[in-house]
Amino acid sequence: MPLPSSIAALTAALSKLPGIGPRSAERIALHLVQSESGAVSQLADAIVAARVKVHLCTTCGALTEISPCEICASPRRDASLVCVVERPVDILSVDKGGTFHGKFHVLGGKISPLDGVEPEDLRIAELEARLQAEPIQELIIALGTDVEGDATSYYLAKRLARAGLKITRIAHGLPAGTGLEFADELTLSRALEGRRELS
Amino acid sequence: MHLAHLRLRDFRNYARLDVDFAPGFHLLLGDNAQGKTNILEAVYLMATLRSFRGVGSAQMIRQGAKGYFVGGKVVGQGEAEIKMYWSVAERNLSLNGRTVKKLAEYLGTLRTVVFCTEDLQLIKGTGRVRRRFLDLLLSQTQPGYLGLLQRYAHTLRSRNALLKQRSLDEVALEGFSRELVAVGTEITRQRREIVPRISPLARLAYRRISNDAEELRIEYLPSVKKDFAVELAQSRARERSQRMTVVGPHRDELQLELNVRSAAQFGSEGQKRSVAIALKMAQAEYLTGLHGSAPLLLIDDVMGELDVKRRSGFLPLLEQVHRSRGQVFMTCTEENWPRELGLELHRWRVHAGALKA
Ligand SMILES: Nc1ncnc2c1ncn2[C@@H]1O[C@H](COP(=O)(O)OP(=O)(O)OP(=O)(O)O)[C@@H](O)[C@H]1O
Ligand SMILES: [Mg+2]
Ligand SMILES: [Zn+2]
Repeated sequence: MPLPSSIAALTAALSKLPGIGPRSAERIALHLVQSESGAVSQLADAIVAARVKVHLCTTCGALTEISPCEICASPRRDASLVCVVERPVDILSVDKGGTFHGKFHVLGGKISPLDGVEPEDLRIAELEARLQAEPIQELIIALGTDVEGDATSYYLAKRLARAGLKITRIAHGLPAGTGLEFADELTLSRALEGRRELS
Repeated sequence: MHLAHLRLRDFRNYARLDVDFAPGFHLLLGDNAQGKTNILEAVYLMATLRSFRGVGSAQMIRQGAKGYFVGGKVVGQGEAEIKMYWSVAERNLSLNGRTVKKLAEYLGTLRTVVFCTEDLQLIKGTGRVRRRFLDLLLSQTQPGYLGLLQRYAHTLRSRNALLKQRSLDEVALEGFSRELVAVGTEITRQRREIVPRISPLARLAYRRISNDAEELRIEYLPSVKKDFAVELAQSRARERSQRMTVVGPHRDELQLELNVRSAAQFGSEGQKRSVAIALKMAQAEYLTGLHGSAPLLLIDDVMGELDVKRRSGFLPLLEQVHRSRGQVFMTCTEENWPRELGLELHRWRVHAGALKA
């Protein structure tokens, strides 16, 4: 007997989530339809509530419930220093280090011709606006060391160059690649370089 | 180094196979389409993670099965246990029970050189085949080379995609150009260094196996003559019209000449075959010299096609393997296995996906 169509639909929806293959999607769906209905409603409410409340900070692009976000609004943050990252989640990993006390700017991606991502698709104009409006003296570019990360760092250094602004780079994160694809080099043995000025 | 044990599950026409191999010379005998070449393919796959037939992993899964398993025990300085599993949904490679995270740490566990009829493409085929020959040699011997190569290929594809866009963003292009130059320059340097090392080996090997007195000469003709950045900039007009990157190591050539004439254009069929074998022998000897022990030699159907003189040119290499307790796997159909190879032979009958001693 095939599974009821609502279970199949749920499985299909779940399997679109990152990291969830068809097999786990089916297991979760079967678990959910046999769970206590109050718990399932709570889960559904939590998903909807989170989606409704969370949006991107209009200034820096971080995930936030208030705009500007906590970091952008904080007077204890060094407003002269901005760290440029690819994704909102990168803010967490840079911040966890505990040594960085400046603010952030999320690009929302990297220039990637093979995926059709062009500079205009990134939050670069927003960054230029911030350079006008805020007392920023140094940008620290913290993108990955993959090809796109390197090329985007160079692009930013060129496009954003202006008098009185220092632009530096730190290597951040490793090239993605958790699934082992045979005959693919997984990690390029690039040591985490120190912060160096881009020319 | 030798392969002491081979285990196959659902690989090609082998549902299951477990077999022990001693060091030395192994003849795989059998009729056509019984699975002789498939054994060599599996051994080569463990060494390089690729098929020498140039096909993807999906084709190597036994028809109707979900995934293949190829595993083995390699005995060299120490022992290494290799396990590979590949299916569309799942793949895993482990060495001594631990999942391999970096290929650089794996490659070199098992070293092989394959001799097969496709080698003729080294002479007849496009420059791509010859670049791949160099790249394989460098990946086997230079840590990090494979990573460079993949980074270069990715940068090249990205850059070509940019060149195809209607409106070209010059600064973005420059970002990828810098990357291409940095990685490409290093690739050119490594290729330039290795060619003079294998060239004399190939010349000697050719002299041993060929019936003629012609000299084999191998020369590296890099696309970039001096400065990649400068030459890339100079090629902008051509790039613009062809909408792709026209200089760089992806356009390198390895020139093969017999008495200063192109082997591809002027060589006879027999000479071409000898050049192909000489290149592979040079590869094997280079690896032997570098590591102090011979790589496994996988010889597919090649010996049968050679006359006695050419075969005897092979003997020094085979004896070298023998001395260093290496291994040779050679496929033959019954009629033409070379009897003059007086070395102690292990003969295997291959029939319908099974091996019998
Ligand atoms: N994916 C696969 N699943 C099942 N069988 C396969 C698969 N791929 C190849 N085969 C079978 O393997 C056999 C060919 O094996 P192989 O190429 O090793 O032959 P061989 O013994 O080397 O023959 P020859 O002497 O003609 O070179 C054929 O019977 C072919 O149908
Ligand atoms: Mg065969
Ligand atoms: Zn913010």
